[in-house]
Amino acid sequence: MRPKRMTAMSALYSLLVLSPASVRAEIVVPRGSGAPLPYREAGLSEREAAAHLLDRLAYGARPGEIDRVVAMGIEAWMEVQLAANAQEGALARFLTPLPALAMSPRSIVETYPPNPALLRMAEEAGVIERQRQPGRESVDADPADAVDRREQRRKVAAWMEREGLKSERVLVAQSYAQKLLRAVYAENQLQEVLADFWFNHFNVSITDNAVRNYLLTYERDAIRPHLTGSFRELLESTAKHPAMLAYLDNFQSIANPGQPTLAEARDSGAMAGRGRGRGAGGTGGGPGMSGNPRRPGGGLSGEMGRRAETGTSPPPRPNRPQGLNENYARELLELHTLGVDGGYTQTDVVEVARAFTGWTFLPAGRLGEEGRSRLERARRAGMTGFVTEGEFLFRADGHDAAAKSVLGVALPRGRGIEDGERVLDLVASHPATARHLATKLAARFIADEPNAALVDRLAATFTATKGDLGAMIRAIVSSPEFWAKEHRGQKIKSPLEVVVSSLRALGAEVDNPFPALEWVAKMGQPLYAYQAPTGFPDRADFWVNTGSLLARMNFGLELAAGRIPGIRFDFARLSGEREPESPAAALEMLATRFLPEREIAPTIEQLEPLLTRDDLSHEVAARAPEAPELPAFSPEDELGSFADLADPALAMGSAVGDGLAGPRERRAPGDLSQRRQSFERLDFYPAPVAMHTGVEPPTVFAGVAGLVLGSPEFQRR
Amino acid sequence: MWDRRAFLKSSGVALVSFGLGPDFLHRAASASGVSSGTSTRGKRTLVTIFQRGAMDALAAVPPVGGGELAKLRPRLAMNAARGSADGALLDLGVGFALHPAFADVAPLFRSRELAVVHAVGSPDATRSHFDAQDYMETGTPGRKGTSSGWLNRVCGELGHDATPFRAVAMTSALPRSLYGEEPAVAIARLEDFRVRMPGGERGAALAGKGFEALYAETTEELLGGTGKETFDAVKLLSESELSRYRPAAGVRYPTSPLGESLRQIAQLVKADVGLEVAFAESGGWDTHVAQGTAQGSFARRAEDLSRGIAAFWADLGERKDEVVLMTMTEFGRTVRENGSGGTDHGHGSCLFVLGTAVDGGKVHGDFPDLARGELYEGRDLPVTTDFRSVFSEVAEKHLGVSATSELFPGWRGSRLPLLRES
Repeated sequence: MRPKRMTAMSALYSLLVLSPASVRAEIVVPRGSGAPLPYREAGLSEREAAAHLLDRLAYGARPGEIDRVVAMGIEAWMEVQLAANAQEGALARFLTPLPALAMSPRSIVETYPPNPALLRMAEEAGVIERQRQPGRESVDADPADAVDRREQRRKVAAWMEREGLKSERVLVAQSYAQKLLRAVYAENQLQEVLADFWFNHFNVSITDNAVRNYLLTYERDAIRPHLTGSFRELLESTAKHPAMLAYLDNFQSIANPGQPTLAEARDSGAMAGRGRGRGAGGTGGGPGMSGNPRRPGGGLSGEMGRRAETGTSPPPRPNRPQGLNENYARELLELHTLGVDGGYTQTDVVEVARAFTGWTFLPAGRLGEEGRSRLERARRAGMTGFVTEGEFLFRADGHDAAAKSVLGVALPRGRGIEDGERVLDLVASHPATARHLATKLAARFIADEPNAALVDRLAATFTATKGDLGAMIRAIVSSPEFWAKEHRGQKIKSPLEVVVSSLRALGAEVDNPFPALEWVAKMGQPLYAYQAPTGFPDRADFWVNTGSLLARMNFGLELAAGRIPGIRFDFARLSGEREPESPAAALEMLATRFLPEREIAPTIEQLEPLLTRDDLSHEVAARAPEAPELPAFSPEDELGSFADLADPALAMGSAVGDGLAGPRERRAPGDLSQRRQSFERLDFYPAPVAMHTGVEPPTVFAGVAGLVLGSPEFQRR
Repeated sequence: MWDRRAFLKSSGVALVSFGLGPDFLHRAASASGVSSGTSTRGKRTLVTIFQRGAMDALAAVPPVGGGELAKLRPRLAMNAARGSADGALLDLGVGFALHPAFADVAPLFRSRELAVVHAVGSPDATRSHFDAQDYMETGTPGRKGTSSGWLNRVCGELGHDATPFRAVAMTSALPRSLYGEEPAVAIARLEDFRVRMPGGERGAALAGKGFEALYAETTEELLGGTGKETFDAVKLLSESELSRYRPAAGVRYPTSPLGESLRQIAQLVKADVGLEVAFAESGGWDTHVAQGTAQGSFARRAEDLSRGIAAFWADLGERKDEVVLMTMTEFGRTVRENGSGGTDHGHGSCLFVLGTAVDGGKVHGDFPDLARGELYEGRDLPVTTDFRSVFSEVAEKHLGVSATSELFPGWRGSRLPLLRES
């Protein structure tokens, strides 16, 4: 075939018609070709193809959506999703109430200061007494203190209101809210699926105090812009974001003692002297930036160093010898790029770490501003080598400037930020990276254990397109394996996918996302809070265990019974205003709606006998006098036990000694009376109310719907 | 007092009325490794309590005599002279004392079931809660990429069949210690571990039957297998005995999250459901401000822990031989008090190990000479015993897991003798 003589489209089509084995590995799938996807060859109808795409590249079908996709055209829908061109409808309305979504990192820290900073600001404003008082005699907390603390809280709350300040908890709640609402309402569904995937790949945890304030902008600015773009750019934006720099400690990684730093190398090396003796970045760290990086405080000014534990600056460890930190380097190689068997050595890890020394970020808030102005003055005075990009800061005076060798490639001495950027080039284009990413993407979109030939082809596409992530998706949906019967309906949904696909299947309205989010955690997926850099494993056996299975079943029942606050739906809409004539008919209708184009006969077969017995129907409808009343959601508890997620320090059970709320007691599970009163109201959305409260049992219809939503079939996509 | 025969009898009645015959009981029993007569009795259980926030070891188990502590933390140090009669330290007679709030467990020290390990902790010097907890729970200090937790690896080494309740965390989310390949379940409340239908038990039972049928017949192996396990587990734990269960006579657990957790763990031990590893949490130990002495925030936490452990131990009754309880905390606190009447993040701390085979009534480990200023970085209690020495000792002697290199990859230390051979 001579591609030049045919249109790209028909060339691709004829190539795709060939059997998989004969497809040459070097195919580059052209952008925007709209080439037919090979679902017919796999024996699927258009409706089945649409259902499968919605299951895998979206969070499941909404009522009527399969019809819409078929009407639009399978390939056309695919193009729109890849280009993220779909017109958003309701979504904007749901996101508008969340102010943090549009804020810069600076505004965020100014509006939602971390607790230690908040406390300090309150002290400085004279709102509360200084915590450190030399003359203070008693250290016993006496009962009067409890009253004092309540009074303090009241004062601080009033002051915060006046100043327009909110706690970090309110910030975190917005990240969670937008995640669920986007997944449910976005028309550009593929973006949401990919945002989840790539965040997880470049995982950071909200439970880390140093990460929390940056998590929202990490997802928004480092991850989301590159979802179908260049892997190299995605990689770099995560490498330079404060969330990752803090999470994997690189912000405090500097050259080991004895190693020449960039500033010194320039001083003594080939570059012409700057004529200022040691001024131009000698071991003093450059004009304007006081402090040796190796002194306690990490080379930041004494002020910054003292503020180490306040959370407003990257906290260097007092009295600890400063030097190389290998954490980021190791995870960069092991998790983000080459993979654990990618063929790098421990020496490579150290060399990579050396390449990234000096990659840090400016503390947020006032101190960062001071740092910025000092840098500016220094630059005007002729200092070079330091780089700032947004919050990111490259410190020449912390960078190990000796020569390095990474994966067999020599990085000459005397280079600065180019060292790290060169390493990113090397790892992004490494064949092991192509395989590693191909494997992960294939696992997400095709099968837990993708076959080797498929991975080879996808890896080849990655390499040929220089890491074009959109091309990877295109290659995936163009592969026969994607459509193969043995793979369809075989992936176990993650808890987020269960919750979102249930809401979409019901055509539900989310008036308040927090109760539904709580279920995602109950099923075993604390969003944004997977503590290891590995992110949530994409494997069925991670998600499926006895406790989580029960939670999935109970979720289905409660949702369908209209007992989840904040969620509204109408069965009449689903049944098309035609009431099913019997429980069995209801079952058939619901299974068809919730599991479109899937094999539902076994589900119906299993459940039907239980429904046709008259006495059973009566039993379900009968009142049970001792039925335990489900706790109603009170307006003070918008977050309910989700408060743990919104307040990760509480989730960890550790009291972040901020003195603001006093020692934090974990409340007894289910004991609403001890629930910590909201410090401030989360008033983004109306207080969540369930469609049904009280003890009346659900209708048979709702019971059946719950059974389908909790069924094994619905747990799969 | 809960009685296994009553369980079999009562749940049989309850289930037959819903059309499930007696042979289910046989299935459920064999699923859990129980057959009439023998049982999972004899299987041992390790109960771990993670004290999150970094417990101040020098407030919990201070050295007595010498007055060094009083010099270093003049306002926080307690001694016999300072407190009133009911606030005095509890001298253990071995050069150390217990904080008075630990009164309920002091008898266990005297009965030689309780041991303290002092100046224990991690070789990694991080003072970040997040990182240090991560390192302790994964058992790989200094390494962040370890995906599994040490308790999950313990389960992997147990080498015999498991029931669905082999590894249980009394938390709402699975703790890091239990991340990994082996199945582990996080249950906040035992009575929630069932199919719940709003509006009635009958509806719930029917829904349960419906789900059970669906999961039994699904072609997807993992869902099918786990589904069956789930229903077997639920039946094992069915509501009827739970509501009848009462702790042993005279035992009263504190009404706190930890008290609740320990009560339910005792329930599980006595229910013979094959529990081998249990995890509970105690929070609020991060006492930066006004930690108090005989009273105050530290004392409150200590009292909760103490009463919980004492109640748990008494509740176990004759099952004590099967259980070892071990506490841990991510690091300790500064020896000197700070300017707010509290202490800041430190390094070494102490832990408790409780069991009938424990070499109790002693403070193990190598406590520094405070008079000679043997502090870590001039500020903290040092670490002279690696926590892995304790964890591996307990894993081996109590659970028979000796594959230390599997449990703690990269560690070449030795176990700290704490338990008698058995």
